[in-house]
Amino acid sequence: MHLLIQTIVNGLLVGGLYVTISVGFSLAFGVLDVIDFAVGEWVMLGAFVGVASQSWFGIDPIAFLPVVFVSFTLLGWLVAPLIYRVRTSHYARPALMALAFTFGIATLARGSMLTGVGFDPRTVNTGIVSGTLVVGGIQMPWLRLASFIFAVVATGLFIAFLFFTRRGLAVRATAQSKQYAGLMGVDIKRVSAFAYAIYTGLTAMAGVLICAIYSITAQHGPRYTLLAFFVVVLAGLGSVGGVLVAGLFLGVLQAIVTVYVGADYTLAVVFGVLFGVLLVSPRGLLRRGLAP
Amino acid sequence: MSAVEVHHLNRSFGGIQAVADLSFTVQPAEILGLIGPNGSGKSTVFNLLTGVHKTGSGTITLFGKDITGWPSYRIARAGLGRTFQIPAPFTNMTVRENLLTAAVEGDWKSARQRADQVLASLDLAHVADDLAETLSGGQRRLLEFGRVTMRDPRVILLDEVTAGVNPRLREIILGAVRHLREQGKTFMVIEHDMELVRTVCERIMVMDAGGIVAEGTFDEIARNKLVVEAYLGGLTE
Amino acid sequence: MKALSSRQKLIVRAAILLALALLLGTLPLWAGDYWTRIWTGVAMWTGLALSWNIIGGYAGYISFGQVAFFGVGAYTTALLMQPSHHWNFFLTLPVGAAAAGLLALIVGWPSLRLRGAYFAIATWALAEALAQLAGVFGFTGGSFGISTPANPSTSFFYYIMLIAAAITYAVAWGLLERSRFGLEVKAVRDHQTAAQSLGINTTLVKQQALLLSAVIPAVFGGIDAYWITFINPQSVLAGDITDQMVVMALVGGLGTIWGPALGAIALYLVNTWFNATFGSTTGYIAMVGGLVAIVVLFLPDGIIGLLPQTRRLRLVRQLLYRSGRSLRPERGTPQTGGERP
Repeated sequence: MHLLIQTIVNGLLVGGLYVTISVGFSLAFGVLDVIDFAVGEWVMLGAFVGVASQSWFGIDPIAFLPVVFVSFTLLGWLVAPLIYRVRTSHYARPALMALAFTFGIATLARGSMLTGVGFDPRTVNTGIVSGTLVVGGIQMPWLRLASFIFAVVATGLFIAFLFFTRRGLAVRATAQSKQYAGLMGVDIKRVSAFAYAIYTGLTAMAGVLICAIYSITAQHGPRYTLLAFFVVVLAGLGSVGGVLVAGLFLGVLQAIVTVYVGADYTLAVVFGVLFGVLLVSPRGLLRRGLAP
Repeated sequence: MSAVEVHHLNRSFGGIQAVADLSFTVQPAEILGLIGPNGSGKSTVFNLLTGVHKTGSGTITLFGKDITGWPSYRIARAGLGRTFQIPAPFTNMTVRENLLTAAVEGDWKSARQRADQVLASLDLAHVADDLAETLSGGQRRLLEFGRVTMRDPRVILLDEVTAGVNPRLREIILGAVRHLREQGKTFMVIEHDMELVRTVCERIMVMDAGGIVAEGTFDEIARNKLVVEAYLGGLTE
Repeated sequence: MKALSSRQKLIVRAAILLALALLLGTLPLWAGDYWTRIWTGVAMWTGLALSWNIIGGYAGYISFGQVAFFGVGAYTTALLMQPSHHWNFFLTLPVGAAAAGLLALIVGWPSLRLRGAYFAIATWALAEALAQLAGVFGFTGGSFGISTPANPSTSFFYYIMLIAAAITYAVAWGLLERSRFGLEVKAVRDHQTAAQSLGINTTLVKQQALLLSAVIPAVFGGIDAYWITFINPQSVLAGDITDQMVVMALVGGLGTIWGPALGAIALYLVNTWFNATFGSTTGYIAMVGGLVAIVVLFLPDGIIGLLPQTRRLRLVRQLLYRSGRSLRPERGTPQTGGERP
């Protein structure tokens, strides 16, 4: 029983990061109408920037987070117009072509990193948060707690931005209906770039923390892409609310499978559940997602 | 036996009731007009009849057979054909291929021959081997119409089939409609062109806000106050 | 050069095909071992690229897990040819094909009813899961893999691959360009709702397309397993394999029969050169990804679209165009977003 609770807590704490990643991912989908196959690579790239900051500059990765955010926001802001261009092109199926495009840049990122840094796993160590909080016999490393707090704050700020600012309103309007948002004077291209940029910034930061908690290899991108897919499909494509629950659920699921079945089986289980959901309730468990 | 019967049809999208407790009958070999202001639910009725949308509640029968809840393609195979408000040609296929595709689930042996006939009667023979994407708007509507007739359906739903079409092409389509009706086909027609409605439709239904507000011949509904109100929103005389 | 009559065109086509057949048929006799192996690989990839194109370019459902079917075929052949079972090589191929077909039905049934995006996710996740499982299960040899018996000569595999590729293309051409099924598939891609209004069971059509696109790589996977004598998850279930298929089809030309072949030839030769020059396969991965991005951005028609409109090349272009439609971009219609992804 104690093990179970510990496992669940572990899962929840990491799940927070999954939520952060998936919220951005889901929004990017809502605004750009494209499933970003590169989401896992953003995680991976962010993580490696964290690794670089420590091994090259000796800077604590957590202290480096703001830099990571800014640089990846910029990067995402540069990439988004390309996605947008394919999305609004004259292909017979532009949305799928844009998906193929993100697949291409994901592969490019993965190949480049593999060539550059090789296959070895890397991790980072932070001195800023250390030690473990023990509550009622449950161990909560401060690193994980801090990551969870980060996730809550980042996601909270993001959602607050979406719902309480004018820019955020423009983003939400675009996600709901590009046609009408455009008619009301919203510059879709700009809003899309903006949303995508925030999403990549957030995701990269989450990547640094994931790397600190676990480790990262240049090949791990697809794994996190799968996890992001899992969350948004369970939550329902386009539904930001369900992502909160689904992200935490994924963390818990992963933890439970690792402890009780075996770490090697986690991805297979994740896929199995994903597949089952697609079979039974493609609009997400709460049926809030887009109509299939 | 009626061609199409609809009983207490309901369908809402989000919070909006698109079709409310709708009931009507279409008689075999009649040309029934469906008119009404924008947003009154006309296209939704077509989408419900053809299975594009699922009904919230209510029943639909086609020549006595209950087709409620059937998937689109099954309803099509049962003899219900339709055109789309925004023409939906298969853009990466030629005009002829578009017509042939219509015959895939039907009489394939005579398909090539019939396609040539349709091409000739709709004056599309000269673009037969061009990709459908190169057609003009009016030609696309002709192709839409030709495609639906290739299947030889018993009931045909025409959704603003002459919108934006020049007078000559319009006459071709109307001529074809009359010809097919003489062969016993039933038509249901959504139109905004009142002149066309007056000359072609024998009976007309007027919709507003998801329900039928009037029914009858053109003269009857033209005199109907409710109809005038529906179109002008309460501003009278 | 005046326009050729259709009879003359037919003769030209037949002549080209004959020359090609002669060239390819006698290759091992004059090309040497190294090049025979290269062209064996080319033959395999032309088949793989075509398989992706069937579900991706023709049916419009982009699959990112195509390698799953390849791997299933490979492992089936390898397992059945183990000393304990000792099957005849040729008999393993239909079994692998059936296994892949079954998998296609299982994964296709829920996901093909939905939008293309879900299908992309589902197939991709399937491939990743299979790769992981293959590396974990004992009977598949785990991450160490399994080996197949020592094999006959280089030319044996060359001819097997060539014949498999030829049959694949012939069948695909017949089914997709000269039959009712082809019209149905293209209708489903162009406008599903309209296709349904014409009585076409779109889900069934998609399933059939997927089935076809799954059986082909399974057969090639089986041949590959025997050919390279040793397989593991990295060699037959890696996502890079799907990536290559995607690029080849995109580069060659989506929705055409010959596009994938062109793309496969071009890319495989580039791959060979790349490995020889840089010795790095990860660099190649990066290049493949970059290529996908560039082709999607700038070359919607693939190589076929690049052929200039000169008089001489017009014939070649027409030949390629007529025998396989190209997925030309829509012009003129406002981009209402069409059907959602």
